[in-house]
Amino acid sequence: MCDTCGCQLHEHHHHDPKVVEVNQSLLAANVQQAMSNRQHIEKMGAVAINLISSPGSGKTTLLERTIEAMRDTVRIGVIEGDIETERDAERIRAKGVPAVQLTTGGACHLDAPLVHGGLHVLEHFAKGAGYDLIFIENVGNLVCPATFDLGEHIRVVLLSVPEGSDKPAKYPATFKGADLVLLTKVDLLPYFDFSMEEVRKEAGLLKPDLELMALSATSGEGFDAWLSFLDRRLNR
Amino acid sequence: MHELSLAQSLLEQLLELAGKHQAARVTRVVVTLGPFSGIVQDSFAFGFNILKAERPATRDAVLDMETPDPEYICLECNKVALIPFPRQSERLDLARHGLAARKCPWCGSNRLSPQGGTELILNQVEME
Repeated sequence: MCDTCGCQLHEHHHHDPKVVEVNQSLLAANVQQAMSNRQHIEKMGAVAINLISSPGSGKTTLLERTIEAMRDTVRIGVIEGDIETERDAERIRAKGVPAVQLTTGGACHLDAPLVHGGLHVLEHFAKGAGYDLIFIENVGNLVCPATFDLGEHIRVVLLSVPEGSDKPAKYPATFKGADLVLLTKVDLLPYFDFSMEEVRKEAGLLKPDLELMALSATSGEGFDAWLSFLDRRLNR
Repeated sequence: MHELSLAQSLLEQLLELAGKHQAARVTRVVVTLGPFSGIVQDSFAFGFNILKAERPATRDAVLDMETPDPEYICLECNKVALIPFPRQSERLDLARHGLAARKCPWCGSNRLSPQGGTELILNQVEME
């Protein structure tokens, strides 16, 4: 018999029950790592952008065109998040800038500890030269990446015309968390029943001051506004 | 979809807290999942209950989840509208009868802008 409480179980010892008020984020570990990532990125002199969208809405193509337009004057580095394959990083490297591929092996989002590792590899690739602009292309998913701060300065959510203009209403958390919404593939507007007005209205409900831009990486339409948005945000 | 990662992160925090307070086991956990956090209570509990069994210290932990009613600002009349969050048990009824259009209880407008509600908080832990 247990001497402490008289119960029949030898290995069972009661201790005084203790109630602890914690009041910390369930994501405390990620939040902390994200803060340290942000400091790390700032120490490199860079601004980081987290790109979030469904698979196939044109994140990598946007990056290819952006790199072509800016690579001569801006030092760009890219962290690519995917469940599998090195393909996106290869597409970015083909444009002549350093790219790190993070494969999550099944996870539906990038988190701050993964990006931390990516930043160190990117720093290694720069050989001391540093970066002005770091893009983090998240895993294609309009739900989960919204919850995870990666240490970015700007969060850009892409929505392509073929996906439909009902997406902000259907995926509120992601669009509410955006600093900028980019409507992509607008060269396809004549072929789809896509209402710019609906996107404006629904996104406006979620975040009245949300910035919205429309562009096409194929036709080049609207691309200048995007490039000057980036240029305004650089630490120069 | 990422409820499992979140449950894993909670369990790591619980083990750390148990160690810090020299407790042998965690008996009860209270968390707040914001109504706009995107976390589904059922999936979160499902993940938690699978993962908690891996460690003796968390095996018997009971999970209490609280979700506050979502708060909106009506962009028409600028008043705050609290609209009850459908409980898990009411979800099927909603599916059967259709999700009633959210309307401002003061002026009837549907131009409701969600406020806050993305919080994911570990409030309280009972251990012994």
